[in-house]
Order: sequence, then structure tokens, then C-alpha cells
Amino acid sequence: MIGTITLCRTLPSVFSGSENEPPVSSSEVWLKERVEFSRPESYIIEAESGTGKSSLCSFIYGARTDFEGDILFDGRSVRDFSVEHWCRLRCHALAYLPQEMRLFPELTVMENIEVKNRLTGFNTRARIKDMLRRLELGDRVNDRAGILSIGQQQRVAIVRALCQPFDFLLVDEPVSHLDARNNAAVASLIAEEAASRDAAIIATSVGNKLSIGQYTLLRL
Amino acid sequence: MPSHPLNRLLRRNISAGQIAGYALANLVGLTIVLTAIQFYRDITSVATAEDSFISSDYLIISKKVSGLGNLMGADPSATSFTVSDREEIASQPWASAVGEFTPAGFNVAARADLGGIPLSTALFLESIPNEFFDVSPRGWSFTPGSGKPLPIVVSKDYLTLYNFGFATSRGMPQISEELIGTIPLRLSLSGGGRQEWVDARIVGFSSRLNTIAVPEEFMTWANSEFADSSVNGNTDPSRLIIRLRRAGDPEAMKFLDIHDYEVAGDKDAGGKTAYFLSVVTTIVVSVGIIISLLAFFILLLSIYLLLQKNRDKIYDLMLLGYTPSRVARYYQTLVAAVNAAVLLISLTVMLTASARWKDSLESLGADGASPWPTIAVGVLIIVLVTAGNLAAISRNIRKGFRK
Repeated sequence: MIGTITLCRTLPSVFSGSENEPPVSSSEVWLKERVEFSRPESYIIEAESGTGKSSLCSFIYGARTDFEGDILFDGRSVRDFSVEHWCRLRCHALAYLPQEMRLFPELTVMENIEVKNRLTGFNTRARIKDMLRRLELGDRVNDRAGILSIGQQQRVAIVRALCQPFDFLLVDEPVSHLDARNNAAVASLIAEEAASRDAAIIATSVGNKLSIGQYTLLRL
Repeated sequence: MPSHPLNRLLRRNISAGQIAGYALANLVGLTIVLTAIQFYRDITSVATAEDSFISSDYLIISKKVSGLGNLMGADPSATSFTVSDREEIASQPWASAVGEFTPAGFNVAARADLGGIPLSTALFLESIPNEFFDVSPRGWSFTPGSGKPLPIVVSKDYLTLYNFGFATSRGMPQISEELIGTIPLRLSLSGGGRQEWVDARIVGFSSRLNTIAVPEEFMTWANSEFADSSVNGNTDPSRLIIRLRRAGDPEAMKFLDIHDYEVAGDKDAGGKTAYFLSVVTTIVVSVGIIISLLAFFILLLSIYLLLQKNRDKIYDLMLLGYTPSRVARYYQTLVAAVNAAVLLISLTVMLTASARWKDSLESLGADGASPWPTIAVGVLIIVLVTAGNLAAISRNIRKGFRK
């Protein structure tokens, strides 16, 4: 269980040396003494392209370590976590939608989701189909993920990310390829799922924001 | 239930050709190793049989008798091995043990009753340590005054000489080994002004020892009772038996040549055969091991290539929360299954080959050796190879997790 994620003077290594220039100097996240994300709040991190929002998600998710400063989970530095500990967190505490989705194009929609769900055993097939239907993918269950449109892939990846227990849901530009109607459908599903777990949402956005109700906005 | 989508992902980019190539190479290597080992074991089981053409790991040596000096009885020590001679031989790297022939320092005469015909003859006796015997007769011991007959082992050559030389030309009955064991003998031991009768019985025939051998306990007792030290002052043995570390070792032959020692019997030729066989086996086993090693590296390369090709997938699985060991398990199971199949086929080939050459070997007097030690070697090799493979897979996948 993770209650609070704290960034302490965190900065992507690539920005090292340009601390006094934008985007770092104007950021509400980078190099700040303490930036806290707590359950069950919602956060939207707004940023321009190239300011490091995907990097931030990767740092928090443990996929990358090329940052300065520190990230604390309930006061514990993530730098000390073992590979196995990260794997456990990714099954039980941290859910993540990467910006590039990272579906397996050779597997079907259902298989892509099953790869995750078999690991966590969280949802039934019926529940998965139900969520896909809500995101207007009910008839694409057995299609290969590689032939779906980017917007459809984005929604499959969202369903996959929801197939686990989590304390924090990291969604990197979840609606960048969706129209307003689908944005609303995705937002309501995400909000419901987060609420049912008493979890926090951290969503990034370059403009098209996830339309959830209450959130704290941070400019990266 | 449909196969786990994880397996379908990881299966991609596996090259059936590479796996088959590895399996074949490893199969050839392992089969060569196992078959060669079993062949060597089967062949050398001939050597443990009594009348073997490769019996060889024992040498009986003596010094050359030459000139008239010995004939005149001037200096018997010229043909005996001094303490320093014995120490030199024992310290040679090819000698694993050296035993001495202890001669009787007294007079022996034997008397037997062969179907009503009384026979008597002068005799000599020697003893050597028990560990050098190729036969292990029952009751090979002697306790003075116990009344039990003294056991005697006679060279097989003597019986052959009697049966086919003496008996046929003189019209005497030929005697079998079994029959001779039933003939009661009486030995007259005399010397040092004393004389005593002892019951004796021939209990075995040796093809290794060309002597008439009695237990060491008897010789120690009899020498202390009857030996006349003024006549037989020289207590150095004149013959030695050497157990070689490696049959027919050319180093041993060279040493004996240089020192002008004589080797009893025709053991030398058998020794060379054995030496040649062990050299050939070593070469063949080495070739097999080299092939297996190359196969091992082929598989490692193949695995590295596969993991490299699947690196992105493995990274994505990591993002989904799969542990390195869960991902590795698929490849490890695959490799373990291939290795197990290689082992089974290889053992089958080895056992089949062994069964086929068994008949030819039986005609040489070999019963064939147990295949279990060879099977154990095969299992050991495969376990080691598999452990190496699994460790490589595990390490490589963990590396992929730290992108």
C-alpha cells in the first residue's frame, strides 16, 4: 500500500545544468523541495511537449532511474527498491498507462488484457468485456491489437491498466487520441475504478485533459 | 483453456532451427562421451577377468641372473632388491603400491597321496601381501597350532605344465583345479636343526603370481621357527610385485629397461594394449566434450540472440509487473526439456551400442560393466550444462529489466 508519493528536488538528468532556464525554472514540479501526491486525490500535470511528463511517469513507475533528487513512497526512497519489489508494486499498488500504450500487436485485444489480468487475477472475463463495451470496443475483443486505430489502442490499454488493484493510477496522456465523447467515457470509467479502490489519479496532458471532476492542476 | 498469452509472446522469434542445431550438436557430443566411457568400462571389465588380454596393472619384476657369479652361489644379493632399490621404485609416480615376495628361509618337502600312489617332492614357498592377489580363496590365513590345513595358491602355469607337459608324456592322470583342491598334502618344514609336519591344501590358482604362495602369517611364523640365519643371512626380497597407477604406463617400462629389471610373464603386451586403449578413450572423450562445449556455447548465443530480439517485449512485460524469474521460466523450461531429451536419446544410443558389442566382448571373456556409472556421468554433464544455461537466461533477462 502506498499513501503518499513525494518528489524531493526531483529533476530529470537530461535537464541537469539548465536549472535556471525554462522549463525547469517555471515548473511547479521539477526541483521543488516537496511535491506530494496523496490518496485519494486526483492530479493533472499539464505540460508542453518535451518538458518531461512521460519521464516523470517512468520515474514514479520505476521504469527509469535517470533523475536527480529523490522520490519517496511513504517516506521510503524508491532508489532502494529491488526489481522484485517494483514488480510487486506494479501488480498491487501502481497502475500505469504509458503514452505509447505498449500493447502487443500480435495478440488480440482480449489477450493483451489477459497478459495483465492473469498476473493479478483481478477481473473476470465478463467484467473485462463489460469495460470494453463501455469504451465502445465490445465488437473488437478478438481483433489483433495491431490493426486497431491509435484511439482504440489507447482505450484497450486503459482497460488493461485497470485490471489490477492500485493505490495510484498513472495515466500518461490518456485521451490524447480521443474525441470528447470517448474522453468522457474513459474519464468516468477511470474515476469510478479509482474511487472503488480509494486511489489517486495522476494524469498528464498536453492540452486535451482527462475530464474528471475535481483535481489539482500542476504545471510541469 | 487457451495457452497463456505470455507464452505466445515469448515463443516469438524462437528459432526452431537453432534449437534443433544445438540439440543435435549436444546429442552428438554427449553420445560420444557416454559411448566411449561405456566402451572403455566394458573392455576393461575384460581386464578384471582372470585370463585377460589386458590384465596389466600388476608387474612382477626381478633382477637379471647373469654370468657365473650367481651360479657359484657367491653373492645372492646381486639379484635381490636392496632397501634403496625398493624405495626408488615405490617413489616412482607410476607405482601405486609395491609388494615384496618373502622367500622361505628353510627347507620344504611335500608329500601327497594321489589315488594310492605316494608322491613326494622338494618344494619352495613364497608369500606376498594379500592385497596383490588376483584370487581370494576362502580361509586365506594361518594360525600356528590350530590344526587347520595351510592354504596354498599355485601359479596356473604350474598346473598347465603338469597336465600338458608332464602328465601326457609320462602317462600320468591329468588333474583339474577342483580335484587338486581335494588332495591332502603334508609339508615337512626343516631348518635350524628343527623339523615339523604341517597339513596343507591347494586352495586356488593364480594367473598373476608365478610362484607357490602361502599366507604371510605362515611365512613369518615359519621363518622365525626354522630359518637358519647363518645360511640365509640375506633377507632382501629377490622379486617385487608392483601395482601400476595406469596399465602399461610407458614410463614404467622405460624405468625397468634402464635398471635392467626383468618383467615376469607376457604382461607387457597386454599392458601396452591397455595403455593404448586408455589413450584412445581419453582422446575420444575429449572430442565428445569439446563438441558438447561448443554446443553449449551455440545455445548460449542462440539464447542471447533470442532475448535480444524479444527485448522490447520483455521490457513491456516488466512494465506490466512480470518478474524476471516468471519471464525466464518459459525459456528455462524449454532449455531443460531440450536437454532432458538430449540426455534420454544419448543414453538410449549408448545402451543400444553397449548391447550390440556385448556379444563380441563376451567372446573375449568380458561380462560387460554396469552402465550406471556411465548414466551417472551423463546425468551429471546434463545437469551442469542445464545449470549453466538456466543461469545465463536468468542473468540476461534481469539485465533486460534494467533498461
